[in-house]
Amino acid sequence: MMSQESSVQPPRVATWLIGLFTSDSEAEAVPGDLLEEFSHLASKSGVAFARRWYWRQTGKTIAHLFAAGFLTAPWSVAATVVAGFFLRRLLQRLPGAVLSKATNRYLMFWSAHFQAYLWLLNGMGIAHLLISLLVGCTVALAAKGREMVAAVTLALIFCPLTGAALVWVAMHGHVEGEWVIWSCADPLAIVVGGLIVRTRRSQHRDSSPKRLGVTGV
Amino acid sequence: MSGRDYLGEFEHVIMLALLRLDDRAYGVTVRQEIEFRTKREVSIGAVYATLDRLEAKGYVKSRLGEPTPERGGRSKRFFRVTAKGVTAVNRTHRALQSMTDGLDLVRSYA
Repeated sequence: MMSQESSVQPPRVATWLIGLFTSDSEAEAVPGDLLEEFSHLASKSGVAFARRWYWRQTGKTIAHLFAAGFLTAPWSVAATVVAGFFLRRLLQRLPGAVLSKATNRYLMFWSAHFQAYLWLLNGMGIAHLLISLLVGCTVALAAKGREMVAAVTLALIFCPLTGAALVWVAMHGHVEGEWVIWSCADPLAIVVGGLIVRTRRSQHRDSSPKRLGVTGV
Repeated sequence: MSGRDYLGEFEHVIMLALLRLDDRAYGVTVRQEIEFRTKREVSIGAVYATLDRLEAKGYVKSRLGEPTPERGGRSKRFFRVTAKGVTAVNRTHRALQSMTDGLDLVRSYA
């Protein structure tokens, strides 16, 4: 019969987060090792203690796996991130340019349907968000095996840039709350793009036949 | 001889743990061995990040064991030090020894 302790599972969110950053060679070993130690700790020191330990290990492990993912192939990750940066810079002008052309071409129509024009204007935020999501997906696809490392690095680059833009706008004019929310959501959309690609890849990997060994000893 | 032939501090500790554990060396045992002997908390991520680096340098080799139920059906990844790894450990050990030779660390600097 299964004991109460052995049926206790570690925090699912923590396990999911670790799965996002593990490489193919660590995909089984790292979560397996953590589960083994968690079960042992839960039966020895209690579930609450084991859960705290698991979260502590999760935080440190993700930091190390993130750094290792970058350091293992620094040039390819950096090139992917830089390409993603310029791709977003290029694409982010697209919704504005399309809107501008449409406005000029169908000026009479928009004058008659001004509410629709306002709705379209507000939709610009969504368009920017979708572009960030697309860029996040593209960067993750390009950084095979290091999806989250590349996507999070790109998002981390945009965070201070967004902050600086907000400060600049605040100093030179009026900042609308809605615009602030859309701007802050952009880096998050990049990470979500990375998450989508990583999750799809993990599902594909889990459904493929199991590897028998990493390197022969 | 290039500087790359020497092990970093944590790499050295990991290699010594692998040599101590021999064929029982996998993530959990390596982590626990280091915590037990050095009294410092080590994350499993730090252990694997270093082991992957050592494997890339050719100092260790790994293989997957059988999946076990207590690990949720996941396999253990066993590690073993290669001959090149043993040479690197010895070289690093000798370098450290020659640096500490003649120093009375307990009396002079305590």
